[in-house]
Amino acid sequence: METILLSLQSLGDVTLILAAIVGVAWGIVGGAMPGISPSITMALLLPFTYTMSPAPAIVLLASTYVGAEYGGSIPAILIRTPGTNAAAATVIDGYEMNRQGKAGEALGISLYSGVLGSLFGLTMLILLSKPLAGVALSFTPPAYFALGILGLSVIATLSGENILKGFAAATLGLMIATIGTDPVTGGNRFTFGSSDLLTGIAPVMIMVGLFAMSELLVQAAGKSGGEKVTSRPRIAFPNFAMARRLAVPQAIGAGIGTFEGCMPGAGGTVASFMSYNEARRWSPNRSQFGKGAPEGIAAPETANNAVAETALVPLLSFGIPGSNSTAILLGGFLIHGIAPGPMLFQRSGDVVYGLYGGLLAAAIALLFVGMALLPVCIWMVNRPKPWLSAFIFALVMSGIYSIHNSLFDLSVLLIAGVVGFLMRILKFPFLPAVLGLVLGYLVESNFRRSLVLSGDDYSIFFTDKISFALLALAAVFIIGALGKRVFDFFLAPPNADKAGDVA
Amino acid sequence: MFALGARRMEVVVHDDFTEHQWEDLMLKTALATCAIAISFGLTVPANAQDYPVDTITLITHSSPGGGSDVFLREMSSFLAPVIGANVVVENVRGGSGAKAMADLANAPADGSRFYATTPTFIYTSLLSQPEYTYEDVLPLVNFFTDPEVIYTAADSDYETLGEVIAAAKENLGRWGAANPASLERQALERLKRAADVNAAIVTHEGGGDMMINVLNGTLQIGVGEVQELKSQLEAGQIRLLATFSDRRLDQYPDVPTVEELGYGVTVRKFRGLAAPKGTPKEIIALWEAAAQKVLENPEYRAKYQGNNLRPEFIPHEEYVTFMNGFADETAVFLKEAGVID
Amino acid sequence: MFWTRDFVGGAGTALVGAIYYYYAIQMRVSALDDTVGPSGLPKAYGLILMALGLAIAVIALLRSLRQRSAGSALENEWTGQGIRFARAAGIVAIGVIYLLIVSYVGYAPGIALLLLATALYQGAARNWRSIAVAVGGAAALWCIFVLVLGVSMPRGLLFPG
Repeated sequence: METILLSLQSLGDVTLILAAIVGVAWGIVGGAMPGISPSITMALLLPFTYTMSPAPAIVLLASTYVGAEYGGSIPAILIRTPGTNAAAATVIDGYEMNRQGKAGEALGISLYSGVLGSLFGLTMLILLSKPLAGVALSFTPPAYFALGILGLSVIATLSGENILKGFAAATLGLMIATIGTDPVTGGNRFTFGSSDLLTGIAPVMIMVGLFAMSELLVQAAGKSGGEKVTSRPRIAFPNFAMARRLAVPQAIGAGIGTFEGCMPGAGGTVASFMSYNEARRWSPNRSQFGKGAPEGIAAPETANNAVAETALVPLLSFGIPGSNSTAILLGGFLIHGIAPGPMLFQRSGDVVYGLYGGLLAAAIALLFVGMALLPVCIWMVNRPKPWLSAFIFALVMSGIYSIHNSLFDLSVLLIAGVVGFLMRILKFPFLPAVLGLVLGYLVESNFRRSLVLSGDDYSIFFTDKISFALLALAAVFIIGALGKRVFDFFLAPPNADKAGDVA
Repeated sequence: MFALGARRMEVVVHDDFTEHQWEDLMLKTALATCAIAISFGLTVPANAQDYPVDTITLITHSSPGGGSDVFLREMSSFLAPVIGANVVVENVRGGSGAKAMADLANAPADGSRFYATTPTFIYTSLLSQPEYTYEDVLPLVNFFTDPEVIYTAADSDYETLGEVIAAAKENLGRWGAANPASLERQALERLKRAADVNAAIVTHEGGGDMMINVLNGTLQIGVGEVQELKSQLEAGQIRLLATFSDRRLDQYPDVPTVEELGYGVTVRKFRGLAAPKGTPKEIIALWEAAAQKVLENPEYRAKYQGNNLRPEFIPHEEYVTFMNGFADETAVFLKEAGVID
Repeated sequence: MFWTRDFVGGAGTALVGAIYYYYAIQMRVSALDDTVGPSGLPKAYGLILMALGLAIAVIALLRSLRQRSAGSALENEWTGQGIRFARAAGIVAIGVIYLLIVSYVGYAPGIALLLLATALYQGAARNWRSIAVAVGGAAALWCIFVLVLGVSMPRGLLFPG
């Protein structure tokens, strides 16, 4: 209780509120631009924080993270291109709603869910920081491996009509994740002597290539692929009946998001995919998923915003950044001579309370800044098609360049775009590839690390209780999904034409 | 935010410039503004005539906010008045230092651009054989060494390194290194050999990742830099068992060195600068003087000692020899391990 | 005639798996390796992808044999695709040209050309207004990335830094 009071008190400082508003606005803009990930959005802001006093500086960065995680959903809904990795799951039903002329509702649902997710995550961060840190601490390498496998079990849902193609796409993602430095020996793999490949291929490049670039190519290719979607410039927030309908998927998203946020390395992308999957599993409207179900936006968007808040748990409690974005935030702390970790509350309690207060301001600011920016976004995507394509292309080429100031990255982007185009022509789904890419390193490094620990004894995956439980759950999910497909294959009455191409 | 404001003002003042001059001026102004802002707006270069260029850029392969980045930014504010030029930090990321080495190798040798070196750049040179390696740049001077220490969780059974070694004699030991193919890993591999025990050396993605596994008991010991462990040390969550440095640490005089304990393994994680090849002698001399002066600054001393950095000035000639020796030693280790030819 | 999209996709997948596997088995073995080793999972991924690709191809083959009566389906599968590929290749070409010239002409002129070329290619009107929009857009992007965010974009030979 004391924490809450102190946090609220810190809001007497106007600079904190100002920092929260500026951060959220900048975050939404950065997150909404395909090719500019939340961490780049934050990194670009970092130099400006050097001269600020600690609390507003940290609030500015953390609010940017919150804004960016929301902002990613805007292009996901409007132009079928996730602005951030974690918004990939939102594409499925978000773009579908847009296509049905319900862009305003979709954007309203994503904003509403983003604000709720932020508030929920923040509450968990303030009240349950200690126990959540305990959860993070109890995860050993085999448990992380199992967590990764559980994440991969979502593939079956994301695969669309042909599950084999889904698995193939996921394997492709896993393969791309092996490029770069080996997690155990430090040797190079698949780098072919190029120093640009040493640190691997950032998921954002593949993501933007598969979605944004391939969409540009499809639109250039002909009218059939890139149909004209005119989005009506009005945001509609959910009414009471809709809010009730969304409560369960949001609860699922909030729960999974809170959990994944605490785990260093797991992150928002996995959280949003898993929430989508679970929301679908437990929904009475399951058949609507993939065809513009509002729940399909609510669950992942609640999840990725909850992650943005609880990702601070390992950072503040251990000084451990769990993702690129929190690594930038750690930099923000260190620049001001503050070391996050167990002594943070004693040493710099005021900064922490300021951060909590600022995040509360950010969650509320998200609502208003989002409402103010959305009409602008809708206006922009309703520009003449040739110019919209041209600007998306230019933006993507500029954004990806700014990650490493590297032209090489732009060629990766173009190649990923061509691959994405071919995958569309040959009807392979993208999302499993994204999931494989995001989880590949986590799965491989922890698999091998576990075996190094146990001296090559595979039983470590079953003697570790958490690992066993998660693997068992993953097995249930996979068998369930496969079993249903087999059941449908043999016993369900054949239907003529199944729509529902996921990606 | 202030830096941005200042830049805008400059734009208004110099409205009639050509685009080239304008762009150039803006960049310089921006850099200068940042540098001044970072040095808390207090320090204006005192003897700006001495140094041949106005602005010195220190590049690092570390990302903004990363270990080397923070270290450099802190040092740059104290360095600027001493060397007599603005000092700014630029992040040249990618390829674990390969990009930064290429950048420096192609930079003018006029004292305007330097690369902040850590053992990483030697490892990258040897492991990845990029186009430009450590041999294409010139070690300038060394400023610090980061003591590497062995630590364990406060609630673990191990009170001394000897107990850890004894445990590894009985069963497979579980030791952690922050990164694959790093100085820490090399130190542990050598310790394992010196003590003749069997231990699994588990590599991670950075020190934080490893810290969790030490705290939850997955690992018996971890190896890291003291400054990374500061927070956990102060909170009493971990215990230092030994240090890999050549003598005991000033802040922790009770912690023995690994060498004292009878395993002849010492490592020196250096932090210095490298210059483009062909840098004039006069500039090198200026840096040798400046480095010593900066390390003596009492205000800076308080800061770096608080971070457990050990000042270890190495003049240019000696630093070149040291670096070559370090590279050879590492190359031998990697070759013996079969990682490289 | 069995060149359905599924068959091509499956065969292509198997080929990618095979190429990847070929490189995976050449990976260096060292004493720092764990038992699984750097090549352990890559080899598995390569084999899995090959197997999946073959399975997709075989299923597609069986299906097309079974549906031989509905031969027109295959016609629709590829008719008119050539021109679509060619049009898409145009966008890729614009991107490649940008990559090749941006170091010489600099970011702002390069991105202006990219904007103009893409817009014209997609059917924007060929008039002065389009050029104005492209130049204005490039100026805006330059302001955002170079001026505000301080990204060091290629500066070109005309205005070297």
